[in-house]
Amino acid sequence: MKTAWPILPFPCALSSGDRRAARKDLLSALRVSGSPVIVDFSSCPTLNHEDIDLLLECVAQVAGRDTQVLFVAGSRANRVLLEVTRISSLVMVFNSVKEALAYPQIAAEAENDIKDTEDRRANQSQRLWSA
Amino acid sequence: MEMGAVVVVPGREDLTAMHEVQPRTLAAFENPQPRYSSRMPILGNYVVQSWMERVRKLGVKSLWLTSALHDGSVASSALAGLARQGVERLLMIKLKSYAEIDLADLLRFHCESLSPVTEAHDARGQLGVSLLDHRAMHATGEKPEFSSTPTDQAQPAYQFNGYAKRIVSASERQELVGDALTGACAMRPLGTQIREQVWIGEGVSLADSARVVGPTYIGARTIVRAGATIGPFASVEHDCVVDCGTTVERSTVLPYTYLAPGLLIRNGLVDGGYLEHLGWGAVADLQPAGLGSRIQRRESRKKAFKETATNIFSRADSAFPWDFVPPSTAPQPWLQVQL
Repeated sequence: MKTAWPILPFPCALSSGDRRAARKDLLSALRVSGSPVIVDFSSCPTLNHEDIDLLLECVAQVAGRDTQVLFVAGSRANRVLLEVTRISSLVMVFNSVKEALAYPQIAAEAENDIKDTEDRRANQSQRLWSA
Repeated sequence: MEMGAVVVVPGREDLTAMHEVQPRTLAAFENPQPRYSSRMPILGNYVVQSWMERVRKLGVKSLWLTSALHDGSVASSALAGLARQGVERLLMIKLKSYAEIDLADLLRFHCESLSPVTEAHDARGQLGVSLLDHRAMHATGEKPEFSSTPTDQAQPAYQFNGYAKRIVSASERQELVGDALTGACAMRPLGTQIREQVWIGEGVSLADSARVVGPTYIGARTIVRAGATIGPFASVEHDCVVDCGTTVERSTVLPYTYLAPGLLIRNGLVDGGYLEHLGWGAVADLQPAGLGSRIQRRESRKKAFKETATNIFSRADSAFPWDFVPPSTAPQPWLQVQL
């Protein structure tokens, strides 16, 4: 399924310089996005305190706005850490990107999005035909 | 000497802790590996101690402690050695379950059945408790190790219908904790009952704003800081620190564990820096995120813990009245404990 929802990779296991840049990109993407954002840290084998801090910053970034953030934990161990830190009570957590995309709200919005695109295309072709 | 008893502790690493009493027992708690051991206390009680008490009630004066081989078996050369030295019957208890079994009744059943081996079973199968007579002990000497499993299926089994719980996994252990806290079994938390279904050990420090929701147990010298919630169905063993605002429910925290502020520990078993989620079966490392760790013992705490460990293990090697010398080829040491 093609979707407009951005899937942002989580900067883990990076050097401190790269990490700073990736963190900046991640937070600014969350700041500007008006649609749900999927933050994918399934490639992180484990989470350290900097990762937990950044996940909390992501939550804080979208708090009070319509933007919804979804986390893809990847492993059960990461899910356990999200539960222990109570992050999973603030944000929806999924095992995979596929699962996150199947989340009803996203799926519904994605469907609407696809429908809108199709409608636009149909209108366009209608206009072309009538022209 | 007619009757002997041996308690078999699973895993070779446990053996190291047993052999030289205090320091090695302490070392077992310093092991950073995320593994649950049936030697860990349950509500302040050691299951090995409850088995020793049952053996003592049977009139047996001493027992041996040894550890199982990787497949759970015991070196049969050692069993044959016992038989040669006059042990006519051997009660073998593998430390994989807590069972409120009447060993005298098991012995009676064994004598009446005239079978060389009697295994105690419950509805779920073997409990890890068996009685062997000298024929079985001699016969096992012909095999490299003794494992009272598939080959002995033809032997009459002693059916036990009382309370029994396997303790080899964290989730089974948590079931036993729940049963003990609610009085569903005979095990009682080691401490003072301060109100209905709430027990605390000696020297516990509870902040004024901490909440304790029964059924719950808090072990000796544990510190529960402001705003923390313990329970329901929680067991925080001795010498732990639960920091501000952390909630521990339907979980066990093993000795010498520090939990950082603001955490939610639900359906888990925490051992130092590791958390095993009982529902998902996943083990998470809490240390990189600074969420939990093993507490370094101070001398006073160390001393208190040594005393606890000594209750069980310090009598080991105190006497060898039978002059039993385990064969040098035996892969596991055998330690004698006076009861």
